Amino acid sequence: MRLSALLALASKVTLPRDYRYGMSRPGSLADRRKNPPGTRRRRVAVEPISDEEWHLFCGDTVEILEGKDAGKQGKVVQVIRQRNWVVLEGLNTHYRSVGRTGEDRGTMIPSEAPLLHNQVKLVDPVDRKPTEVEWRFTEAGERVRVSSRSGRIIPKPDFPRADGIVPETWTDGPKDTSVEDALERTYVPRLKTLEEEVMEAMGIQETRRHKKVYWY
Amino acid sequence: MGLLSGAARIVVRGADRMSRWTSKRGPRTFYKGRGAKGTGVHGRDGKFVQIREMVPELVVPELAGFRLKPYVNYRAQAGADAPLTAEQLFREAVAPAVEKDFRDGTLDPERLGKYGFEPTQEGKLFQLYPKNFPR
Repeated sequence: MRLSALLALASKVTLPRDYRYGMSRPGSLADRRKNPPGTRRRRVAVEPISDEEWHLFCGDTVEILEGKDAGKQGKVVQVIRQRNWVVLEGLNTHYRSVGRTGEDRGTMIPSEAPLLHNQVKLVDPVDRKPTEVEWRFTEAGERVRVSSRSGRIIPKPDFPRADGIVPETWTDGPKDTSVEDALERTYVPRLKTLEEEVMEAMGIQETRRHKKVYWY
Repeated sequence: MGLLSGAARIVVRGADRMSRWTSKRGPRTFYKGRGAKGTGVHGRDGKFVQIREMVPELVVPELAGFRLKPYVNYRAQAGADAPLTAEQLFREAVAPAVEKDFRDGTLDPERLGKYGFEPTQEGKLFQLYPKNFPR
């Protein structure tokens, strides 16, 4: 949390109302170079999809339906909700050079291009074929994605956090509250305001009262 | 603000109208604060009289043996409690006593003050309506 905040150099970025989201993170150097303040680009049409309807998450295995790599399956590494984009690892790539300085042409690397949500389909774990997916509720009341063809539940995949922290193996530091202390319930509902409870707990006596004030 | 275009250079004359008017500008007789809350009044002889009630006092309990720390373990899940509503508060704080007295037959509709009912906010230090505390 503290180290990751330092690494990400988190700062509040105010974006213009018609900002066009691209592959660069808003606020990064590349984005600031491409969209300096005052940039106005043509608006792109983005189909509005609610958070409840969206079904593609990082770590999912999906198959590409159209494009250069149609028919191939890959893992989702990035989801850009503002453009309904998913980025698959190593698929749908074009080549660009990095590290160009002066005469040196740098090295060519493959860089993934994003795909729209309707250009990919989730893969059914039963037969490993692309399938339509619906959101349904289990017996326990949990909301899960269910393949339309086979009825199999597609669980939400585990994707490592960007700051590299694995919650299961986290050891408490000197400034960390343990799980039991954080989830302990100590609140007793009473008909007293916070100020009255604090006065009672600290033993503060106050017999003076405010003067009556009239306002219209 | 001077606008430079090509070879033409014009000089805009006059005071700076665009910057904020702060306490750092103006003549030396100009006084303007920066938003700090006052702690007293100026007396007739020019002296400043500090009023104790206007000086904020932090009431902090003994923190020896306090187990909550600034940060929380990553494994702790978000709490599943709903925000407290007035009905829930009533059910937990007042309803048991009222129900017990009703079953014993000692419930007196004229004397609801012992369950916490306040017919008027007069005489209270922290009045709920109109609210006379800042929180």
